[in-house]
Amino acid sequence: MNFSSKLIEEAVQAFASLPGIGKKTALRLVLHLVNQPTEQVEQFAEALTRMRQRIQFCETCHNLSDTPLCTICANPHRDRSVVCVVESIRDVMAIEDTAQYRGLYHVLGGIISPIEGIGPGDLNIDTLVQRVQQGEIREIIMAVNPTIEGDTTIFYLSKKLKDFDVKVSTIARGVAFGGELEYADELTLGRSIVARVPYQTGEGLRGREEF
Amino acid sequence: MHLTQLKLTNFKNYVWQEIACSPQINCFLGLNGMGKTNLLDAVYYACMTRSHTGVTDVHVVRHGADFFRIEAHFQIEGKSEKVVAKVIPRKSKVFECNELVYNKLSDHIGAFPVVMIAPGDTEMVTDGSEVRRRFLDNTLSQIDRSYLNALLLYNKVLQQRNAALKQFAEQRQFNAGLLEVYNAQLIAPGTLIADKRRAFADTFGEVLQQVYATISGGHEVVDSQYESKLNDRPLAALLAEATEKDRLLQRTTVGIHRDDLALTLDGRSVKQFASQGQLKSLVLALKLAQYEMLRREKNMRPLLLLDDIFDKLDKNRVQQLLELLLQQSFGQIFITDTDEQRVREILSKLDTPFHLYHVEAGVATLAHTA
Ligand SMILES: [Zn+2]
Repeated sequence: MNFSSKLIEEAVQAFASLPGIGKKTALRLVLHLVNQPTEQVEQFAEALTRMRQRIQFCETCHNLSDTPLCTICANPHRDRSVVCVVESIRDVMAIEDTAQYRGLYHVLGGIISPIEGIGPGDLNIDTLVQRVQQGEIREIIMAVNPTIEGDTTIFYLSKKLKDFDVKVSTIARGVAFGGELEYADELTLGRSIVARVPYQTGEGLRGREEF
Repeated sequence: MHLTQLKLTNFKNYVWQEIACSPQINCFLGLNGMGKTNLLDAVYYACMTRSHTGVTDVHVVRHGADFFRIEAHFQIEGKSEKVVAKVIPRKSKVFECNELVYNKLSDHIGAFPVVMIAPGDTEMVTDGSEVRRRFLDNTLSQIDRSYLNALLLYNKVLQQRNAALKQFAEQRQFNAGLLEVYNAQLIAPGTLIADKRRAFADTFGEVLQQVYATISGGHEVVDSQYESKLNDRPLAALLAEATEKDRLLQRTTVGIHRDDLALTLDGRSVKQFASQGQLKSLVLALKLAQYEMLRREKNMRPLLLLDDIFDKLDKNRVQQLLELLLQQSFGQIFITDTDEQRVREILSKLDTPFHLYHVEAGVATLAHTA
């Protein structure tokens, strides 16, 4: 692409560096911004900068937050005795969208997969154990995708938690939530969290559909 | 079961090719390097969702093309079945049966049983245990869906466990708890695989002996024995005991990925004591015994792909073999050879329907039907 303007070229490159955006789309977006009032574009740019500078991870659950404690953890109406363990922040959003869950969360930041260089030490596991240690939590719900690596992660966590007086459950298996938690439709996901089942050590290692 | 029609697009050196098949014998004749074996491989691919040579799809697609397609029409007990493979290497791989897309490729394995006899088979008696494990896995996967699923699961967990052991060494910290989790995940599929291999090896040994006697005419006793540490101790104990060793060597040192199918001739190791002639007969017997096991278990005749069979047997023996195979219920056979005269001579004596194709530079032309 040939640009008459270095300024345009730089802006196009900035957009094109985002995932899923090619050069053509980038140009379309830049040309759109050219036609906008200056203040509006300034607000747009400022929103991004402010977000990046100020966003933080919740000290307790590792969810995205504007403050050291996220709005879910800080909400006095949430049930503090139940914690739902998820892989990523997007899972928190998916479950929140169901409006069926009133407990707290814990974001692991991935699942155990040494092939991809992710060991237990790379995940927020110690902080989960610390939370349970404090004694307020009665139940941990493992809302991790039922893949082989998901099974490894759930089993590993349940071993870490076995000495504490806490009930471990999984979201009902066999409930079709399409494999990926974040793509689950709200109704099925909501129902599977309500209809969760107690986790038995090693569960999912036998009798799984593909096994 | 037999293949009635095969249509290829961009498969190996074929731009576009259609093959009408005889329900009995199909011969692909031509010089080496023209693409005879590729036709057998296309049939194999349609049944097993991968190339017999073990190469990745990048090497299966025709040079310069970005996709390939195989369409195979089968007849099973009078019913037509259409299998289509559409592959864009590194991007997508779709298998359909009667217009329905499989969720998992593994669901297709075993629906259309196949046995390939190829020059490389000699590795089964000359090489290490891996080749014989692959032979066991190939056969059992076609017979038993739960075996294949257990194998896929076992291999994935094993890869993770090995990667974890490497990571422990790199980061200089050992996590016994994580290893225990992987052990637990390996036990169910590993034990199932060992049990099925053991049961299979028992029957297989008898069948192998019968087939060997028929094709070699010899009186030697051949036997195959399933060798596994799991024969003596449960996998859970083996894995637990190996922890220190695994930690040191940074890989999983016990499990069904170390098993072997030991072959003996008159009680002595085949690799060390068998003559060239005995080896050739044994290699062929292994594959024909596989064919017989599949036929029994699936209750239908697998497709038999004979690549360069005259490499193993002389003309009279090949004729005997084909007679043997065509006896009783009739199975479908695909043969490649460079010597048309030799093949025509045998076919003329057999009195069996056949299609004869000439293969030249990625084009197969029907030359004769009977
Ligand atoms: Zn929080």
